[in-house]
Amino acid sequence: MKKSYGLLLSLVLLLIFALAACSSDSKEGADGEGKEQEQATKEGKDIVVAVASTLTSMDPHDTNDTLSGSVQRTIFEGLLGFDEEMNVVPMLAKEYSANDEATEFTFILNEGINFHDGTPFNAEAVKVNFDRLADPDSGLKRHSLYSLIEKTEVVSEYEVKFTLSEPFGAMINTFAHPAGLIHSPKALEEFGKDVATNPVGTGQFKFVEWKPGEGLEVTKNEDYRIEDQPKVDAITFKPVTENGSRIAMLQTGEADFIYPVPTEQADSIDGKNGIEVDSKPSIVVRYMTMNTLKEPYDDLKVRQALDLAVDKEAFIEVVTNGHASVLDSIIAPAVQYYSKQETTKPDIEKAKSLLKEAGLEDGFKAKIWGANNSSAMKAMQFLQQQFAQINVEVEVVPMEAGTLSDKIWSVQDPKEAEIEMYYGGWSPSTGDADWGIRPLLGGAENFPPKSYNVSYYDNPEVNGLIADALETADSDKRAEAYEKVQSVLWNDLPWISLSAENTISGKKNYLTGIYLLPDGSLDVRNLEIKQ
Amino acid sequence: MFRFLIKRLVEIIPILIVVSILIFLFVHMIPGDPARLVAGPDATIEDVELVSKELGLDKPLVEQYITYMGNLLQGDLGTSLKTNRPVAEEIGARFMPTFWLTLWSMVWATIAGLIIGVISATKRNKWPDYLGMFGAVSGLSLPAFWLGLMLIQLFAVTLGWFPTGGLESWKSYVLPAFTLGTGVAAVIARFTRSALMDVLKEDYVRTARSKGLKERHVIWEHSLRNAMIPVVTMTGLQFGFLLGGSVVIETVFSWPGLGKLLIDSVAFRDYPVIQAEMLIFALEFIIINLIVDLLYGILNPQIRYE
Repeated sequence: MKKSYGLLLSLVLLLIFALAACSSDSKEGADGEGKEQEQATKEGKDIVVAVASTLTSMDPHDTNDTLSGSVQRTIFEGLLGFDEEMNVVPMLAKEYSANDEATEFTFILNEGINFHDGTPFNAEAVKVNFDRLADPDSGLKRHSLYSLIEKTEVVSEYEVKFTLSEPFGAMINTFAHPAGLIHSPKALEEFGKDVATNPVGTGQFKFVEWKPGEGLEVTKNEDYRIEDQPKVDAITFKPVTENGSRIAMLQTGEADFIYPVPTEQADSIDGKNGIEVDSKPSIVVRYMTMNTLKEPYDDLKVRQALDLAVDKEAFIEVVTNGHASVLDSIIAPAVQYYSKQETTKPDIEKAKSLLKEAGLEDGFKAKIWGANNSSAMKAMQFLQQQFAQINVEVEVVPMEAGTLSDKIWSVQDPKEAEIEMYYGGWSPSTGDADWGIRPLLGGAENFPPKSYNVSYYDNPEVNGLIADALETADSDKRAEAYEKVQSVLWNDLPWISLSAENTISGKKNYLTGIYLLPDGSLDVRNLEIKQ
Repeated sequence: MFRFLIKRLVEIIPILIVVSILIFLFVHMIPGDPARLVAGPDATIEDVELVSKELGLDKPLVEQYITYMGNLLQGDLGTSLKTNRPVAEEIGARFMPTFWLTLWSMVWATIAGLIIGVISATKRNKWPDYLGMFGAVSGLSLPAFWLGLMLIQLFAVTLGWFPTGGLESWKSYVLPAFTLGTGVAAVIARFTRSALMDVLKEDYVRTARSKGLKERHVIWEHSLRNAMIPVVTMTGLQFGFLLGGSVVIETVFSWPGLGKLLIDSVAFRDYPVIQAEMLIFALEFIIINLIVDLLYGILNPQIRYE
């Protein structure tokens, strides 16, 4: 009898706990559905942005994560930058020009700008920065982007000229890359490598404090050259790794802006608690490569069959909850020189007959490699299911980042590469077609371990067109070359193009002018609080 | 006892040397080239080589170990590959938040665990016992990760009593310390219950009772003291585990502590930070063990140190 009391009590407790857990959800649901979106309110003008990982460095020249780059852009400016659509726009430079061979680039600088420490911005400051970046002994992570700069000359106080060692048509975009942000030369001299924790730029905000693990704070630059800007007093960037915690912070108002918002939660928080979710196309592409040196992937018919077996619309629904668009070239639409290609509808019968023509009517077995995070796993399992329809039996091999990179980049002889199918992604950080195509499909010189051509794709026609596009600064000629490259690659199928992802951020609805660029970096230049 | 303490402290040195060698080897055995991870996803081979050279990763393993040990003996833990900051600084900033979080978790878990354990043992097979043990089993089986998110949803988002995460004020400690301590409280409760039940069967307890001592005195002063020895051992171990194992909780609550640092460092193959953290965890374990041994003597003066 006593035992049954205990059991009863236990059950009651369990029920109470479950109800407590559910009640919070159901209440929230009722809030959002029943009435109009409430207007959230904000006290003060200090903004908190919760981000997904810890910051690594405040030295743009020595940083390669987009997140740190986002924070750096509040403190620093570059000669050029990107607008909301990833178009190159002038920032510290007011004009620029290039010679036809794409070997000389001249910039006319804006006058009367000072760094936060009072040092004047001029051609000399530009030279100090790019000499640092171009120095092969600098040990800087972004050296390679600027290694082609042979010399930087101060033409006059506000004019600077770069000479490259070889033609490079994509150089303008490289100058607009976040790695080209400009330090105060005085800070560089004073702090040396420690400039990474003592950033001094010309931007809208000044660096205040960076507590490892806790966050980084910047405060309004009262002397910013554009009047009335910035319109908020301070921004704190807090690393919050766990998705659920980041969302909770936005719900309670502890954070005003968060990113990324996981695709599976984006729709459920949008329009509730004064939250707006913004889902916009990015330049991140997802694809599945095939090792074109290996059988049966060396046969175009097999690659076509695999491509026809995949329903890309369904891929987007299943893997990204609809927060992506079908990729219609090997680069995303926001990338410079993108050219739209004709997409095909999935066709299982045709795929089977192509396999039959290739002598593989009974299908074959394959392995697909990819990361071990949940979205990559979901993507690979989806592909596994799709390929099963044409009797291609795929084993999903998820790997932890370090192991995966070892497997891919420890290969010295391309013929010995184990890789068959690989699910991956790419974001060309310069926003130019060159960086979206060359490292991934630009011939043997980009095979691992040198670069990222994990399809081991080497097509002389493509290589020639890529070279043509790099040998000129003429926009029309470059566009023409990249149009052809995209068409050849689209039909030759070294990889199956799957989706162009969206960037998803969440904010309280009193914020305006804060958004993510297609490369996933944050722009706060027009940030305002409107009540 | 003083001699015992000195002897044990001296013994720590060779243990730490062996541990440091093992840690160094294990860390370097993790697959993945840190230079490539440090250089970033779209780095070229030139970048990777440059970074590798800059970090000294291109040198033979033995040379790297000698440099590492040489620096370690001079108190230099190295520089983080990820942030370029001194490891001592990275760890220093995060040690106290983890220490306090662990301490508060242990404090409430020990008190709650003891009380529940004692009540369960003395009210054996009655409803307080069932309730206590139901709580203990739940505490052990609820995943800390889920519990943390649930508490955030209930007490931060819905009720607004506590912050969702970070370390701002004393309020920041409540939810993570509760989450972290739940499992420990459960273990302590179960251990206390069984240890106390064993002791309550002993002759001297019967004697105490027959002398007419009040039950309260019999339990709290005579029995519990003896029942405490296994409980203290286990609590010490739990404390050591918590200091190093608050990884999940620190991630859920964005806690600026060592656990979160370890996760970031492993993902990044930040060798110097991983090595230093593991060394610190090892040292913590050794020190806690020493404290546990000393506590035995206080609890039971019959235990002699040699």
